[in-house]
Amino acid sequence: MLNYIELLRQFVVTDFKLRYKNSYLGILWIILKPLAMFGVIYLIWSNIFVMDESYRMSLLLGIIIMNLFSEAVLMGLTSLMNKAGIILKIKFPREVVVYSSVIISFLDFLFNMVVFLIFTIFTPINTTFLGILLFLLCILSIFILTLGLSEFLSVIFIKLKDIHNLMIVILQLIFWMTPVYYTLDMLPENLQRYIKLNPLTTIVTYARKGLIMGDSIRVQDFMQVGIVLLISLLVFLLGRMFFKNRVTKIAEYF
Amino acid sequence: MSNKPIVQLKNIKKSFFLPHEKHDTFIEYATKPWRLFKKEGEQFEVLKDIDLDIYPGEFIGIMGRNGSGKSTLLKIMAGIYEPTSGEVKIRGKVVPFLELGVGFNFELTGRENVYLNGIILGVKKSRLDRKYKEIVEFAELGKFMDVPMKNFSSGMQVRLAFSIAIMADADIYILDEVLAVGDVAFQKKCFDVFREYKDNGKTVILVTHSAESVRDFCDRALYLGDGILHEYDSVEGAIDEYING
Repeated sequence: MLNYIELLRQFVVTDFKLRYKNSYLGILWIILKPLAMFGVIYLIWSNIFVMDESYRMSLLLGIIIMNLFSEAVLMGLTSLMNKAGIILKIKFPREVVVYSSVIISFLDFLFNMVVFLIFTIFTPINTTFLGILLFLLCILSIFILTLGLSEFLSVIFIKLKDIHNLMIVILQLIFWMTPVYYTLDMLPENLQRYIKLNPLTTIVTYARKGLIMGDSIRVQDFMQVGIVLLISLLVFLLGRMFFKNRVTKIAEYF
Repeated sequence: MSNKPIVQLKNIKKSFFLPHEKHDTFIEYATKPWRLFKKEGEQFEVLKDIDLDIYPGEFIGIMGRNGSGKSTLLKIMAGIYEPTSGEVKIRGKVVPFLELGVGFNFELTGRENVYLNGIILGVKKSRLDRKYKEIVEFAELGKFMDVPMKNFSSGMQVRLAFSIAIMADADIYILDEVLAVGDVAFQKKCFDVFREYKDNGKTVILVTHSAESVRDFCDRALYLGDGILHEYDSVEGAIDEYING
């Protein structure tokens, strides 16, 4: 168990460190990159497409969450393959590799949130203790959901390389099926129903509500997020079973 | 020597699927689209029927030609491959050295790689902290530890890798041709370590092409040929089979 945690920590720290090795600005990029990217989005949406202020932060938060989801899924998907060299030489709990890559995308998310907080200097947000709690529950759901999805995808990717390209397309589709650049009420009613089925719609909606419009939170909001959390847990448990069952059989397909 | 085997292999079979890749043209795929999904190939049986009991404290040598399945067999014992059929029972902690320096990253410094590789080998971080000095000394790399590993010579890399590897504490060591590393002086140090394993009653499984190391260390030698392990009355029998076919 101790080694399990040490191994996880080692993979996270090493891979995170390696990302910025050999660049002049090094670790500064962690903040610089989202700062520049969000700056562009912020400037465009506040000057070219003029919208009300709170929407700007909603948009930013939506993009951050969707980035987190697709990064975590894509990094999880390639995680086993990227560590093939180690996996073929040593026996260790394989899921550590998958978890570490998902955790790395959550570290990125953490720094993105720091940048988000910097932007609140220009456009203040309105949150409460309960609001933050709701927001954290949403993030927990994504964490569990992406862990589960990664356990499926990383194993499938070993034998079926096409899944990588396929997932890029599917993630793009999911992005547009989630109200990030639009709000639900802009859509015709029959379409709204389908968009609401997407668990990410719930996550993005209530993460925004919690962090940006925190004073209007009700018990029902927690119930909605709770349902998504349960779905995520189910995906995770199924993923766990699939992974456990398959992972020793795939070593020779690397 | 206790009478309960520490490693037990029963009727191990292992076959691999060998795909026959022909570079098909677009026209061929268009006229026979099912070929996209059905890869042509054959099953190749590497290990046909392996039975092996290894007892605690034994130093076992396995010899065999290139491609005879030695590495596959080691990987099965190390739990990396699953046998196609048969049963593997291991009673104890295994550290396989199928390759030295597993997980080494050449962008990282020597020091960082000690921890990376050590933890992958299952060594506790606290133990690495304690043994760090010893590792550096054994590898003779005192002033290079904060240099990125890409600037190491290949001999230095191997020395560091070996020095970390011997810190791993296990009941069963699986060594795949890692003996032939470094210069003569360093090789001698490595052999001393093996002798120490032997004296401390560790179980070692060694795969090698060197008749000399088999003679020096092994209590028992086996010859792997045609997917079957051949056992002889003495170590010389296996060596003879290996050299003279």
